[in-house]
Amino acid sequence: MTPITLFENPDPAPAVPGGPLCGTRVALQPTISVAGWPTDAGSAALAGFTALEDATVVQRLRQAGAALTGLTRTSEFGFGLHGSQAGEAVRLGAADAELVLDMMGECRVAAARAGAYGLTPSAGLVSRLGLIGLIPSMERCGLLARSCGTLHALLAALAGPDGRDLTLEEAPPPAPAPLPADARGVTLGVIPQALDGLPAAQAEGFRAALARLATAGVAVRELSLPEYDLFALVHAIVGSVEASSCAGRYDSVRYGRRPPGAKNWNEMYLSARGAAFGTCVKSFLIQGAFFQFERYAAYENACRIRARLVAAAQRLVAEVDALALPLPDRVPEDITAAPLAEICAPFGCTRLASVTGQPALAMPAAGACGALQLVGPRLGDARLLALGETLAAVCREGK
Amino acid sequence: MDFEAVIGLEIHVELNCATKLFCDCPNRPGDEPNANTCPTCLWLPGAAPCLSQAALEKAALLCLGLGAELQPLSAFDQKVYYYPDLPKGYQLSQAHLPLSRGGGITITNERGEARALRIHHIHMEEDVAKLVHELEGRQPISLVDFNRAGAPLVEIVTEPDFRTPHEAMEFLKALRTQVRYVGASECSMENGTMRVDANISVRPRGSSQMNTKVEVKNMNSVRHVGDAIAFEIARQSAAVQAGEAVVLHTRLWDPDKKATLPMRAKFEGPCVPDPSVPAIALTPAWIETLRARLPEMPAAKAERLVKEHGVSAEDAAFLSADTDVAAYFEALTAHGVSAKMALHWIATQVLPAVRERGQELSASPVTPARLAGLLTLLARDEINANAAREVLVALFQSEASAETIVSARGFRQISDTGALDALIDQVLAAQPAALADVRNGVGKATGFLIGQVMQASQGKANPKLIKELLAKRL
Repeated sequence: MTPITLFENPDPAPAVPGGPLCGTRVALQPTISVAGWPTDAGSAALAGFTALEDATVVQRLRQAGAALTGLTRTSEFGFGLHGSQAGEAVRLGAADAELVLDMMGECRVAAARAGAYGLTPSAGLVSRLGLIGLIPSMERCGLLARSCGTLHALLAALAGPDGRDLTLEEAPPPAPAPLPADARGVTLGVIPQALDGLPAAQAEGFRAALARLATAGVAVRELSLPEYDLFALVHAIVGSVEASSCAGRYDSVRYGRRPPGAKNWNEMYLSARGAAFGTCVKSFLIQGAFFQFERYAAYENACRIRARLVAAAQRLVAEVDALALPLPDRVPEDITAAPLAEICAPFGCTRLASVTGQPALAMPAAGACGALQLVGPRLGDARLLALGETLAAVCREGK
Repeated sequence: MDFEAVIGLEIHVELNCATKLFCDCPNRPGDEPNANTCPTCLWLPGAAPCLSQAALEKAALLCLGLGAELQPLSAFDQKVYYYPDLPKGYQLSQAHLPLSRGGGITITNERGEARALRIHHIHMEEDVAKLVHELEGRQPISLVDFNRAGAPLVEIVTEPDFRTPHEAMEFLKALRTQVRYVGASECSMENGTMRVDANISVRPRGSSQMNTKVEVKNMNSVRHVGDAIAFEIARQSAAVQAGEAVVLHTRLWDPDKKATLPMRAKFEGPCVPDPSVPAIALTPAWIETLRARLPEMPAAKAERLVKEHGVSAEDAAFLSADTDVAAYFEALTAHGVSAKMALHWIATQVLPAVRERGQELSASPVTPARLAGLLTLLARDEINANAAREVLVALFQSEASAETIVSARGFRQISDTGALDALIDQVLAAQPAALADVRNGVGKATGFLIGQVMQASQGKANPKLIKELLAKRL
């Protein structure tokens, strides 16, 4: 165990030599099931729990010949980055890539923090079997690496139908539109509302990055989305209600610690769940329970608004090659028992893709401050990565 | 005050699929505890439910069999409640978008009138685990058996159309028949493959108001459902009469005390759409393909039996209550046996014989073809009814045809008048007293003489012919 790893694989050599990921060292979060490994999702609710079988993504990593290095420290259920070391293994060179659960942008912000690249694949592209998060309709297996090329190889190995996750698309993604030869053919869309309320330095960094790209010939178009604020609201309501319902399974009947002394089942639930969850997750679950039990109509409204937002974002992205959104490259470090609002603060601009299911790529920006986030059309992941590679070249020149 | 009851039923039917609803584990709840489990039906973290196509088809067939309309779009929700039989905190059920809406069954009420009882909707859901309460020394413990967890269920929710216990019982019997017809379940209340909850309220007769209802559970036979409803109607009527308010709650039927008793409520919340099971979209083409697999349903079959075979409505209902019985009957008539004889022999001989031997009618060694061979001999008067019953026993014991058995064991009836006359002579000579009685008009004596002739023929004489010949002599 090190400050960043929770569990080191004593035998990381791949069982399948010569695969496309041969020589790629991949670190995982304990939110991703590996048979026989302590998959506690960073929560006391799963203390001592060992996964019975590999997540589909783990099986596919093994089949592609990747070396699994171990488990990194995570926030509880991978929610937010408080207490998480996501991205550190790649930053420090201990791994070539990491899989990071992404429910509101964790993989992307972790990549930005590590100065690396992070892809949140389209919803329905990579199997979720074996992932242990809190928000099923939003969580995806994020990929984090030092280059778009590595992300591309990872995605090729992991994506595709899984007979055991029926939420996946069965048909292969549609053929991508031809790629521009270089940055001069690329058009990015910027949502002005996304910059409202952003810390001044971050907004400044984002504008500088766009200016650098514009200098290289990238066309930048302003695309207004007056309902932009609703992404955070929909995420807060729908996400927390799903979490509240799904986390019902952490009741200590089958696993997890069961505090002694309960006189009946109801007391057992209360004491076990009270002891199991950290402050942040508890706040999120209580928020969800409030909407589920006290304001159900608001939850239903949020679901309807979500459908509208998905359509709106898809329309916007169809007008350009990708949407460009700001991305913070640091998160507050020294907060202990941070309130929910503080934990969620760095994810202001990442929740759009979490709500819509679109693919989103985090990449280092050309400027001195902040990183860049590109959001593509759903299932346009391969083209988004290629686009990222083209723009990365421009950004590197700018450094 | 005169009260009438308003009753609605919620009926859980366990589908007889080979596997569970969301995983490939065998759907055999009776096996060694926790033998049939996997991460999905243990509801472990990270597991992903995969809806069984077979369960969907069976559930949809059941809906069509009950005249329900399959919905183009249905979906699963998370029905939240905390109880150790559900250690994931929610049950996957279709609360907002059920598999089908509408449908119903027409029954005959106490006054002999047809009553169309409507179904509100039918939805799919997963069963929960089973709790076994034991003592470990003096410490009470509860064990959880997950074999049943995730077993495929449908819930049939009726409209509050029922007014009497009789209507509820008739509905349940007809429902059981129809579900068995489509082959979706055995629907045994005794074995728990059909579970019925009744919602009951009372109101002054003639009123159209809907009053606070009470839910009654834990009835394990159709009879108990009737008893529990009757008890609850009486209890609520008395309460209202005494000026007490009926409060919404759940009661359990206690078959020993023959009473309903209040139970503790469990925590329940609103249902949230489940994000892990994709919505179910049914195309008209898929529905029509399935509809083509639907067998002829009991009401249609009964109607056809009346029309084609001239049996009474009551007999048609008896035959069509079980597809196997109806099929057996029709096979017999196809072999030329008269409807009347076929009906009589099935009801009085074959079914009791099959039941006694613990066989299924459809798998009985006495196939319709073999029985038809026997009944043809009987119809032609080649054997008499007593002999026929003995041949039936022989048909169960060997593979020989009725013809062979009759010949080998000499069951053929003596219809040769010469031979019978000789026997009659013999009997009349030996029984002068009886002969005198007959001539003096003692009725019983004729029967006695016929019996004597039968005995003399070792049971092979044609009784009708003896009677005729005897009449000529006397």
